[in-house]
Amino acid sequence: MKTNYADLSAMMHPKSVAIIGASEKSGKVGAVIMQNYLDSGFQGEIYPVNISSSGKILGKTAYKSILEVRRSIDLAVISIPAEFVPQALDECGKAKVKGVVIVSSGFSEVGRSDLQEKLIAIARKYKLPVIGPNCLGIMDPRSRSDTLFLPTFKIDRPKIGSISFVSQSGSVGSSTLDLISGEGLGLARFISYGNAAVVDEVDILEFLGRDSDTKVIAFYLEGVKRGKEFIEVASRVTKKKPIVILKGGTTESGAAAAHSHTASLAGSNEAYKAVFTQYGFVQANNLEELLYFAKVFDTQPLMKGNRVAVITNGGGHGVLATDALYQNGLVFPELTKQTRDSLRKVMPSIVNIRLPMDIGGDADDKRYSDALELLSADPNVDALMVITLFQTPGADEKVASMVAKYAAIKAKPLVAVSTGGAYTRSHISVMEEMGVPVYESPDSAASALSALYRYSKYRMAKK
Amino acid sequence: MAVLFDYDKAQRLLNRYKIRSIESRYVSSPEAAIKFADNDPIVLKALTNKALHKTKSGLVVLNLSTDKEIRNAFNALSKKAARFKPYKILAQRMVKDGIEIILGGNTDPQFGKMVLLGLGGIYVETFKDFALRTCPITRYDARSMLEQLKSRKIIAPDEKSSKMLEELLLKVSRMFAASEMKELDLNPIILHDGTYDAVDLRMLE
Repeated sequence: MKTNYADLSAMMHPKSVAIIGASEKSGKVGAVIMQNYLDSGFQGEIYPVNISSSGKILGKTAYKSILEVRRSIDLAVISIPAEFVPQALDECGKAKVKGVVIVSSGFSEVGRSDLQEKLIAIARKYKLPVIGPNCLGIMDPRSRSDTLFLPTFKIDRPKIGSISFVSQSGSVGSSTLDLISGEGLGLARFISYGNAAVVDEVDILEFLGRDSDTKVIAFYLEGVKRGKEFIEVASRVTKKKPIVILKGGTTESGAAAAHSHTASLAGSNEAYKAVFTQYGFVQANNLEELLYFAKVFDTQPLMKGNRVAVITNGGGHGVLATDALYQNGLVFPELTKQTRDSLRKVMPSIVNIRLPMDIGGDADDKRYSDALELLSADPNVDALMVITLFQTPGADEKVASMVAKYAAIKAKPLVAVSTGGAYTRSHISVMEEMGVPVYESPDSAASALSALYRYSKYRMAKK
Repeated sequence: MAVLFDYDKAQRLLNRYKIRSIESRYVSSPEAAIKFADNDPIVLKALTNKALHKTKSGLVVLNLSTDKEIRNAFNALSKKAARFKPYKILAQRMVKDGIEIILGGNTDPQFGKMVLLGLGGIYVETFKDFALRTCPITRYDARSMLEQLKSRKIIAPDEKSSKMLEELLLKVSRMFAASEMKELDLNPIILHDGTYDAVDLRMLE
């Protein structure tokens, strides 16, 4: 039976960090990590540890062993050659460190399972949560703790927020982190857990389920080791917060040996998909969807039904939005007579009172406001898709803030669609800054709404 | 090596969980088969652990109405099955036409026992229209499995048939989860006249 290591809170939000393998030699992983802690504005204590160093490393008092620090340490980051890691880890245990990240590689991924077994035994002996080895580690924008050995100028660090992104893989992790910043999404935590020798996906889900900084979990997963426990934990977590999941790897096991139709159909990938469906995960098909879905969950309330009202200032985009909605299992609502009458009163005669609601190429903030107000109040409308094409004469920053104003009320889910160049992008960032999920195409907006609807249905169903 | 449950044992298990299956009996002579048929059309199947795909191996003869047809089929089947010794010959009532579905079970190395529902018979491999869940399933799961199928309107066109299939799914899930079998095929189960009959059973441990 595997030990559980779900108490990761101290290491995830540390007040003190020891960097084992800290160095001044540029290019060394230990040097990058140390430099990042200094540059990021980490407020806690930093203790560089290097067996061959005395005096100072990058201006901080250095220690030959973590045992010499003799103060409370929330997180130790180990970045030394694999063969020395077991001893360093044992010393972390003796020093009563609260959690360890091992970024070093050279373990089971290169056939050295013996070395990895040693780590597991030491962790168990001290009940010490260890993330890695062979990983990027963890980032917490709130405490500015960051074990990623990626120079700050090469990768953007996202702003503080409530999405936690978890990745087994380091490369998927780091590139997605860059995208998260690019999309303007706020990050609660980043966790790259590598070989999962000690802390695995089950422990991480358990921790994030309880973590109050985390509202949405975005997970890139290649496989789980403890299937039954994974299900047990996930079924509890998805009742509280959404887990958007992207499953990599297409390993098929057992299909050749199957003696029944059932076994030949129910391969490994199908089993994962079934588990995700059954326990309320939101499944993404690629990295873009992973982020697009996380974005809508981050800011929007649950969606009570599948009826979406579309407001647009471009006819063609309205048509595309209609196709995208219906392809994604969403429909237009039947507007009440009251809504239709009120809209007729306030809209100019060129505007047809039907969905998609094309309010005209000359629509300004006033017209958007009228449409938004009346449509969002209609009891038959479950969500809104607002298309704002800023190339038109009437659309400007006032339209952007009007959409943001309605999104802030959060009575019903709202997504915006905006396609265009630099002028458009400046308005997109205004809207996103104010909590509107903006998408570049009606298609991605519709698939995000559909994901929100599927999850909402799961949450609201009696199980 | 997968071992096929004996038909009698499999059928007793289905009976215990109140899962309907078509009336069947082992027959050791053409006369026994004729007696079982009692002037109704029957099917003869040779069952052996050495050929798990009966149809492919030519070990099934359908729609036998006259004594002569039964006798000829029994003798031909015995000849064909001889190379798969030991074997037994099973006589089954011919079931009415209907919609064929598959209900099955598999043991996933990671997630354990799972149940499957899909469009069955000859369509299983072609359309691969199925839904899968881990055991045990809830009523919500059973309903959502039905909703997931593209062929939903074919196999469960109304509320009554949906309810019946939900019940059946729950029973199969309970049976599979509690048994020592590793794989299960009830394929096809034929839906007809507001009810169903499991026509072919395959349980492997």
